[in-house]
Amino acid sequence: MNALNVTDLSIDFPTARGVVHALTDLSFSVARGRRLGIIGESGSGKTTTALAVMRMLASPGFVSGGSIRLADLNVLALPEEEMRRARLRRVSYIPQGAMNSLNPVMRVKDQLKDAIVTHEGRTEREVLRTRIEDAFAGVGLPEHVGSLYPHELSGGMKQRVCIALGVILNPELIIADEPTSALDVVTQRQVMQTLKDVQQGIGAALILIGHDMGLMAQSVDELVVLKDGILVEHGDMRRVIVNPRHPYTRELVASVPLVGGESFLGNSSVVPDVARPREGLPLLEFENVHKDYGGITALHPMSFSLCGDEPRIISIVGQSGSGKSTMGSIMLGFNPPSKGRVLFEGQDVAGMSPLQLWDFRKNVQAVFQDPYACFNPFYRVDHALSFPFRRFGYATSDAQVQDSMHEACRAVGLDPALILRRYPHELSGGQRQRLIVARALMLNPKLLIADEPVSMVDASLRATILKNIYDLKDRHGISIFYITHDLATAYHVSDFVMVLYKGQVVEAGPPKEVIGDPQHPYTQLLIASIPWPDPDRDWGGTTTAAEDIAALDASDRDALTVFRGDVPGFRLDVGA
Amino acid sequence: MGRIPRSYLLNRVVTLLLTVWIAATLIWIIPRLSPVDPADIMLGRMAAGAGAVENADQILERLKANFGLNDPLVVQYVKYIRNVVIFDFGLSTATFPTQVSTLIARALPWTVGLMLLSVVITFFIGNALGALMAWDRSPKLVRVAIPAAMVFTSIPPILSGLLLMWILAAKLRWFPLTGAYGLTVEPGWTWGFVQSVIHHGFLPALSIVIVTFGFWALGMRGLMITVQGEDYVTLAKAKGLRPRYILYRYMIRNAILPQITAFALKIGLLVAGQVLVERIFAYNGMGKLLYDAILDQDFPVIQGVSFVIILMTAVSVFLVDLVYPFVDPRVRHDGGEA
Amino acid sequence: MTGHRAGEIKGWRLRRFESPWVNPKLFWGAGLLLAIVALGIIGRAFWNLDLAFTGAAPLKLPPVGFENLRGQEGAWIHPIGTDGSGRDMLALIVIGAPNSLFVGLLASLIGMSLGIFLGFSAGFIGGRTDDVIRVVSDVMITIPPLLILVVVQSAWGDVSLTMMALLIAGFVWQSPTRLIRAQVLSMKQSGYVQMARLSGASTMHIMFREMLPNLVPYLFGSFIANVTTSIVTAVGLEVLGLGPQRIPTLGRTIYEAINAGALIQNLWWWWGIPTLLLGLMFIGLLLVNLGLDEVSNPRLRKL
Repeated sequence: MNALNVTDLSIDFPTARGVVHALTDLSFSVARGRRLGIIGESGSGKTTTALAVMRMLASPGFVSGGSIRLADLNVLALPEEEMRRARLRRVSYIPQGAMNSLNPVMRVKDQLKDAIVTHEGRTEREVLRTRIEDAFAGVGLPEHVGSLYPHELSGGMKQRVCIALGVILNPELIIADEPTSALDVVTQRQVMQTLKDVQQGIGAALILIGHDMGLMAQSVDELVVLKDGILVEHGDMRRVIVNPRHPYTRELVASVPLVGGESFLGNSSVVPDVARPREGLPLLEFENVHKDYGGITALHPMSFSLCGDEPRIISIVGQSGSGKSTMGSIMLGFNPPSKGRVLFEGQDVAGMSPLQLWDFRKNVQAVFQDPYACFNPFYRVDHALSFPFRRFGYATSDAQVQDSMHEACRAVGLDPALILRRYPHELSGGQRQRLIVARALMLNPKLLIADEPVSMVDASLRATILKNIYDLKDRHGISIFYITHDLATAYHVSDFVMVLYKGQVVEAGPPKEVIGDPQHPYTQLLIASIPWPDPDRDWGGTTTAAEDIAALDASDRDALTVFRGDVPGFRLDVGA
Repeated sequence: MGRIPRSYLLNRVVTLLLTVWIAATLIWIIPRLSPVDPADIMLGRMAAGAGAVENADQILERLKANFGLNDPLVVQYVKYIRNVVIFDFGLSTATFPTQVSTLIARALPWTVGLMLLSVVITFFIGNALGALMAWDRSPKLVRVAIPAAMVFTSIPPILSGLLLMWILAAKLRWFPLTGAYGLTVEPGWTWGFVQSVIHHGFLPALSIVIVTFGFWALGMRGLMITVQGEDYVTLAKAKGLRPRYILYRYMIRNAILPQITAFALKIGLLVAGQVLVERIFAYNGMGKLLYDAILDQDFPVIQGVSFVIILMTAVSVFLVDLVYPFVDPRVRHDGGEA
Repeated sequence: MTGHRAGEIKGWRLRRFESPWVNPKLFWGAGLLLAIVALGIIGRAFWNLDLAFTGAAPLKLPPVGFENLRGQEGAWIHPIGTDGSGRDMLALIVIGAPNSLFVGLLASLIGMSLGIFLGFSAGFIGGRTDDVIRVVSDVMITIPPLLILVVVQSAWGDVSLTMMALLIAGFVWQSPTRLIRAQVLSMKQSGYVQMARLSGASTMHIMFREMLPNLVPYLFGSFIANVTTSIVTAVGLEVLGLGPQRIPTLGRTIYEAINAGALIQNLWWWWGIPTLLLGLMFIGLLLVNLGLDEVSNPRLRKL
């Protein structure tokens, strides 16, 4: 008997502008002990499906047709009180964004306790206590975590608490809605493996909702692909990934860049490099730059110089907290270094005259992570393009400003007539980020700092935007610092890679060496943690994940940077 | 319960002391900046009012000493601060030679009593109603009827006091018009006295309650709507918890936190409102004392009452701040403002 | 924080879409306030305002259609009656009601300007300046303005209307300062301000062209709240017998009515009409504030 049968499920959201069909005739089922993945982009109806199974659809959404059967229960016909009792006991839900899923004013063990007591009535204190301890142990959390408050836990620990909660009553079905979307890859691997272990332990069915084909390949047996509320493909995971039938699935699979293999950039160097002959002084230099925040070192002393004669893309790779974004803001002069100097064409960024600063701003531009925040909601989006263009003295007439904006939009694949006179909220994240790239193109700086430019953009658009950024170097001769957590894209776009770990460069060199054949344990761990969309490439079990981390801890922290080679035009020195 | 972080505690103590010091200093500086000399006003009034005061010279001396008009300013200031610390505000000129502190000590319990009754109760009623207004399982009546009544909550207590006084006391004669207890009862712990106090206190308290509960209710409603969208409430529902339990332990418990902070900020205005209500009901508290002092141009009493009320406010805020870490674990561990 | 910002952005979003400025609460609230202003303007044009000062009429005359305890009937020369010293009530409110609104608006305007200046200074300069502004506004916000002002005015004696507004303004800058400081600090981190810096924008440009437009809904809300606080404080002072002594104000009229025992003598028009006008003024302000809230936070529009 299947744990869940969904038949012809349709969900509608009536809105002021007509009914939105969030889900149309969706059917699938999942048996106990099996894992089913539901993959799709934002707005594809995957979370709506999960909430419908829990019967927790937010109003005004409602089920307009079909049936949901949870083993013997007809979910849609159940009285509210019985449905409440079925939640967690029969079907549990691990929500997205573990950061905020726990009640901030309750100790975490009490948040397990209230669930048990609600469903099973008063239980003896000792029994309760051991049960909760066992649950924590089951997800690899130490005992003392129970008496902490949520804000004292890391994101990974919070998500484990949610998993412990999800399985504590041995449900038949667990629904995990993007359980790792807020976590970095190393933690993601551990949490996913914990989830798989406990699910197998109780023999429940698991529905994993996500947008990452790689994560699916490493986690599920069967895959449902949703697009705009319609099932486009359903089948065995291996079959769907290796031999996708629907073009959308193919696109999803192809959008995940692999280390090695073909470059998603297509044929580069169609146009020869635009060399910018320069006189003597390097474009950007770090002289023993060091940054600490109140005694905590964010960045260990480092020096580099980017010559800028020929455009280069230098990738700075690391997890959150590695100091990579700090490096970016130091380069932009937003964040003065604690020690050392940042030189732009030989001039200290910290001590610039207004005219020099104007020249620095004109020549050093950036693309930030969050395309939603980059536009002032008060203005139409063209303000972000025309304002700096005039400010930096490129504008000769209004018509010329318009022409330049149109040209830049077309260069990044946007239709200027549709886009430029809109307000930011009327555009998608991908459109906004491409506009920011268009802005950089219009201003034609010498250097661009791209800080996680695609991490908040839907997967299918990532390659396009990276291609746009790559073109800035390739066609327009702009040097780029590409700051990212994503090793695969860094592998393809960069000329040189620095891996940052706790504010220190642990490995540096050309991408083929550093990412293709990592030497430092941290780089190795990062590579091993990437969920490859390749069913044959095993992620390893819980123990391997733990072993890899132990190996990193065992390795000498003060080990020198592993240098893997140089590229002309860029020189790196680490240490004082 | 965890300990309150020292930095947080220190921060609050410093704020308390600063508040009291700034208030005391303002009260000291203002008369000295005045184009009119308060001592002149008082002396003039006394001379006019009581033609032949036997100890006029003595009063003049007292006044001069009070205002320390002969000392250099710094000395005056230091003396003043020293006196304030021991609650010595000098002598009342209207009821000479009573100590100002004695008058205040007599009035203070009434004010504090009324405040506990009205301001504190209002906070609880208002928040409970606000929570019910936003809860999706409340009876429709609560959600629809209250916002209409809410309109009246924009009115300051002094106006509602006048209306209630007119309807319930002057017209219907259900309650006494003025005073804190009947003229015929002897103050003391007797049933008759307590009854009289409750009877007299009801209207002043009611006039504060009916116009301030809405402020809390509206605020709470907004917060509840925000909390309803939080992930932890979604998870609580997914846990199959009972709706009422979710309401108390997940929603109200979190939504109340900003309200407590708001309470600390609002105390000052609430106390000021109460002072005015006491004045129109001629309630024997600080408000009436202040009003009488203004009528009599009794400057030492005005200064003393203002200072003590500000001190009371500052201490209440301090107490709320002390309680806060016990309801919000995030403050307890992070230490102070983040 | 991000959630909050999202809500805020959504506020603007919806505003553009369906123009929530067409909001019944905002409409009625603004209507009430404008009616009070109109009362002042039309009254000044058509009514003899000297009647508010002379006291030449019979004492305690009731409004037209009513009878007082002495059996006198209201007369059309004093359509809403006279007070205890024979002053015409209509003339009193024609002068008094706009005056109360004027004090509130002026005090709030000055307080807001101070708040904007201090809030931006704290948020932008940071460091020591920020510390001082933050601590002082934290401290001052707990001090009830009424009590300091009682001391001020009993020391000063008579004050003019403008002077009273200025004095009140000295106590209503704290909450806008705190609000703007917090907003500026969070906006400083926002992507669009960073983008503006990258675009070589001056600090002035960032403050007034990038940040201020987004603060408008908050500023409006804070402004209205401050008008209410200022009027309440002014009326409070007047009811305590302070404030302007020579100009009729609503609070002073109530003060005289209470002192003369108008409540026991059933002279309801004497205290009741000014009370009613003040009540309408506060309801108007509340409605405007609720309306503005709904404009900037669409989620509240559920009811």
